[in-house]
Amino acid sequence: MTPERFEYVAPASLDEATSTLRDLGDEAKVMAGGQSLLSLMKLRLASPRYVVDLGRVPALNYIRDEGDAIAIGALVTYAELKASALLRERCALLPRAASVVGDVQVRNRGTIGGALAHADPAGDLCAAVLALDARLKLVSTRGERWVWAGEFFLGMYASVLEPDEVLAEIRVPAIAGWRCAYLKAARRPSDFALVGVAVRCRIDGRACADLAMAITGVSDRVFRARSVEEALNGRELETALIEETASRSMDGVDVSGDIHASSEYRTHLARVYVSRAIRAVGAISGPPTPSV
Amino acid sequence: MGDSTRPLESDGVFVTSQWVGAAVPRREDARTVQGQARYVDDIDMDTAHVAFVRSPHAHARITAIDTRDAEASPGVLAVMTGRDVAAATNPVAPRGITASVTQYVMAVDKVRYAGEPVVAVVAGTQYLAEDAAARVHVDYEPLPPVVEIEEALAEGAPLVFEEAGTNVLLHDAFEHGDVAGAFRGADLVVKETFRMPRFSSTPLEPWAIIAQWDPGTGAFVVWSNDQQPGRTAINVSRTLRVPIDKVRYIIPDSGGGFGIKLAVWPYIVILCLLARRAGKAVRWIQTRSEHLLAGTHTPEALIEAELALARDGRFLAIRVNSKENDGSFVHTAGIYPLIKFAVIVGCYGIRATAFEFSTVVTNKAPTVQNRGVGKPGMTFVLERLVDLAARALDLDPAEIRRRNFVRPEQMPYTTPTGEVYESGDYPECLRRALELAGYDEWCRKRDALREEGRYLGVGIAAGIEPGTSNLGYYYISRGRPDFLGSVEGAMVGADFDGGITVVTGSVDAGQGHATTVAQVVADMLAIRPEQVSMSTHFDSATSPFAPHSGTYANRFNDVELGAVVAATRKLRAKMLRIAAFVLGVHERSLALRAGTIHVEGDPTKAVSFQEIAAYAYKKALLLPEEIEPGLREIAYYQNRAAKVPRREEFNIQLTHANAVHVVVAEVDVATGFVTLPKYVIVHDWGRQLNPGIVKGMVIGSTVHGIGAALYEEFLYSPDGQLLTGTFMDYLKPVALTVPRFDLGEMESPCPTSPLGTKAVGEGGAITSLPAIANAVEDALRPFGVTVTSLPITPEKTLRAIRGARVI
Ligand SMILES: Cc1cc2nc3c(=O)[nH]c(=O)nc-3n(C[C@H](O)[C@H](O)[C@H](O)COP(=O)(O)OP(=O)(O)OC[C@H]3O[C@@H](n4cnc5c(N)ncnc54)[C@H](O)[C@@H]3O)c2cc1C
Repeated sequence: MTPERFEYVAPASLDEATSTLRDLGDEAKVMAGGQSLLSLMKLRLASPRYVVDLGRVPALNYIRDEGDAIAIGALVTYAELKASALLRERCALLPRAASVVGDVQVRNRGTIGGALAHADPAGDLCAAVLALDARLKLVSTRGERWVWAGEFFLGMYASVLEPDEVLAEIRVPAIAGWRCAYLKAARRPSDFALVGVAVRCRIDGRACADLAMAITGVSDRVFRARSVEEALNGRELETALIEETASRSMDGVDVSGDIHASSEYRTHLARVYVSRAIRAVGAISGPPTPSV
Repeated sequence: MGDSTRPLESDGVFVTSQWVGAAVPRREDARTVQGQARYVDDIDMDTAHVAFVRSPHAHARITAIDTRDAEASPGVLAVMTGRDVAAATNPVAPRGITASVTQYVMAVDKVRYAGEPVVAVVAGTQYLAEDAAARVHVDYEPLPPVVEIEEALAEGAPLVFEEAGTNVLLHDAFEHGDVAGAFRGADLVVKETFRMPRFSSTPLEPWAIIAQWDPGTGAFVVWSNDQQPGRTAINVSRTLRVPIDKVRYIIPDSGGGFGIKLAVWPYIVILCLLARRAGKAVRWIQTRSEHLLAGTHTPEALIEAELALARDGRFLAIRVNSKENDGSFVHTAGIYPLIKFAVIVGCYGIRATAFEFSTVVTNKAPTVQNRGVGKPGMTFVLERLVDLAARALDLDPAEIRRRNFVRPEQMPYTTPTGEVYESGDYPECLRRALELAGYDEWCRKRDALREEGRYLGVGIAAGIEPGTSNLGYYYISRGRPDFLGSVEGAMVGADFDGGITVVTGSVDAGQGHATTVAQVVADMLAIRPEQVSMSTHFDSATSPFAPHSGTYANRFNDVELGAVVAATRKLRAKMLRIAAFVLGVHERSLALRAGTIHVEGDPTKAVSFQEIAAYAYKKALLLPEEIEPGLREIAYYQNRAAKVPRREEFNIQLTHANAVHVVVAEVDVATGFVTLPKYVIVHDWGRQLNPGIVKGMVIGSTVHGIGAALYEEFLYSPDGQLLTGTFMDYLKPVALTVPRFDLGEMESPCPTSPLGTKAVGEGGAITSLPAIANAVEDALRPFGVTVTSLPITPEKTLRAIRGARVI
């Protein structure tokens, strides 16, 4: 419970942060809410020589209406996402996912930037931003670049972020009126997802349109459930189709297993949650025991 | 404070009836919740810090240890290896086992579990100590580990203690009554093999120790959160090779014990050695990771059991064979079985019992007596068998229990093994629980919801919660008497201003002892509880304590309060003598009221406690010769119901509360997730001294049981690595997963405890396990599922539903 010796650096601006990172190279680690980083350091699983705290960079803390998008600063906490009236109205998936992360303490400290940069294979927000086709702004002294959420995650705790880059902003589409759901299976409410399913869609007449689904907790990274999206878009959501789609949703996925859920059980659970998530956006009450 | 003056009954305990039985708010709470409690780590003292190098292997020979880099590390004051420990100490003395084995408080030449301390490092700060510990180089030659019970028992299994020649360090079998005859004559035998998980209580504050050494006197002062200073004083003295009086124990506030802090003492030995070696006081605050890895667990058990019945559902005999994985700590190995078999018949009039047990050692972490010590497992097994029998006979689970309960008119009832159930009305307890739960209605609801594809089940369990251990039961197997009975001490006095002060031999680990003691003393002396001050800090230099002293086995309400009552009586008698002298009347004509003693019928002729104290101390010269100065009385107390345990007559515990839990469980049969929409408890707690504390205990311990029933298990890989090393993987129940509890009322006073109280601290953790299991099994009846193991995890449940049929 005692980290190895490190130096603490607290830049006051994004510019200062990026130049600090450039100077310190890969011996430095950015800290936002510290909810993942500090645990790793206390267990001595991570021992950065420098900790660069973004907490004093006020310019990274905002939720802004940008017309067809909402811009979110990397330092916005789960609690702030959950409470944001703008997001609730225009992009309800994000506050919903944020509200089931960890516990109150974690939600008060943990940030959206940290959650994505950490690229936890069971991260709740990772699934939400992926289902939303969010865009992520990465900034360094070399300049800034935008990447799609779909390109961001590379694997377990791995993303395209370079050591000298800061994730500065997340842009999610404004999708007021769309249906969305985030369903999470966890042993206890404060636990990481055994399976988390983020989904959003429009209902166009009777057909389902622009359905996007992302799944977390199941594999070495969050992923889009393409087979589900293809099967459902343009179709009317009804029980037989949902069950059939859900039952095939894990085909070809390399499902991980651990002490809380073997790969076999997790596969089953994922199918059940895919089905339940589709029902949720389709407002279809089904049998409490889906046949998948 | 009442304004009526009540005459003092010469042999009555209480002179007022104002406080005992009232839900007086806990005086401990304000400081605790405001962060003002003083735990070991809050002790403001300049100390060095300790870090341990722990074995990465479950089983290995230590071929070399190189401490040179560590010794050269910044701030390092001392480095100590297992061999250093072996040179300076005696091996750990086993209690329960018969095999002769040698083990020291640190690993010597061989490691027996992953996490065993191999080297200890002392440095100026915790950071430097950890840094230096990382620079100790240990070479290991890995040995094949034995992890699970079955492996340890297999032919040719690697041996955890080679010198024992076996991994079974204790085996014994007992039979009471005509078991074979009962099984022969039975109409039905239900038989099953059950598995209890390895779990723990994981108190909020892990172990914590500061040790200081005085080179001038060779004496140590130890601050720790030990739960049982009496035995610790003996263990540390024997192991450290110093007389008992050379170690002073101070126990400040403790953040929960639950039995887990009965095993702090080996580390006290280590810290004492380090303090002496470093020439400086040393501090060790166990981390959560260390606690889960190398702190103590409840042993897992594999239990074969069968129950013989008559056609009408009467239980004729029970037979149990239990194998326990006691890990690798010889001191506590073998402690579980006999205390667990003390409740082999539960609440029932079964007249023939047979049990056999094996204490198995493996390369897992040490075990220690933990909340309920084996009784949760025994009750799980018995109450599962009862439900299986009810199902086989197509009897309602409530009805089959009713037919077999020990009846109130049989009290006091002696079980075949010699336990004496002093009082109670088990059928009535069940009746109240069923009524409070709305049992029939829930059964109807369950049947109706099944039509809609929802799976609810109603579970009932009845359990005995014994209190106050008649210690030394383990020598029934060893054949050598050791500890007997249960003794506790207390000192009650008046300070120079007449304020009442209490010092106890037991320690508080969150139970609210000071609150309860103040209520009792207040009613004995006709004062307010606020006028009674009691330090919750134990100090062996001033606390009257016995080798049994400590807080475990629900003994506070019995023997500690017995000692408090006895010491208060002595004090009261002396105060009356002084008052009689001052007022010039006979003691018998005196009464107590509001901090004064006055002539009965004439409150104006009074002397205050303050004045009495002045006579006792400052003006003692004025006292007649036959009254000794001072106002401070010590008393020791023991529960006289204890008999010397024998093979024929166990008498292992001395009070017996009972409880019925009725639980509704709902299973999501698509995922295997279980929720508990309804939870009812009727716990016959004997007389309640403080209903707030009593109910808090019952609820808290039930939550602990929910943990073992649904969440908690220490899992190991096949090579003996702990897989549940953090609270992300070792799952405790949390507020959001705990149901609301509806508690009924039931008070059958205990005739053998001084105030009529019975145990409340463990019962929830005992009775909840089968109640929840029975509810889940009932919910899954359409799938033909049997629950034989805990915890009931979603994955196991789903597998059972989808064909495996067994959880
Ligand atoms: C008890 C507990 C329960 C939890 N439960 C859940 C849960 O249920 N679901 C869930 O999804 N998560 C859960 N988490 C993890 C939590 O979501 C973390 O808050 C999150 O992963 C990290 O956010 P943070 O702001 O605290 O980042 P930090 O811990 O500060 O940093 C995490 C990583 O991201 C990097 N980083 C942070 N910000 C930036 C940035 N702006 N640019 C570049 N790199 C950056 C850091 O260098 C570090 O590598 C839990 C954590 C705890 C302690």
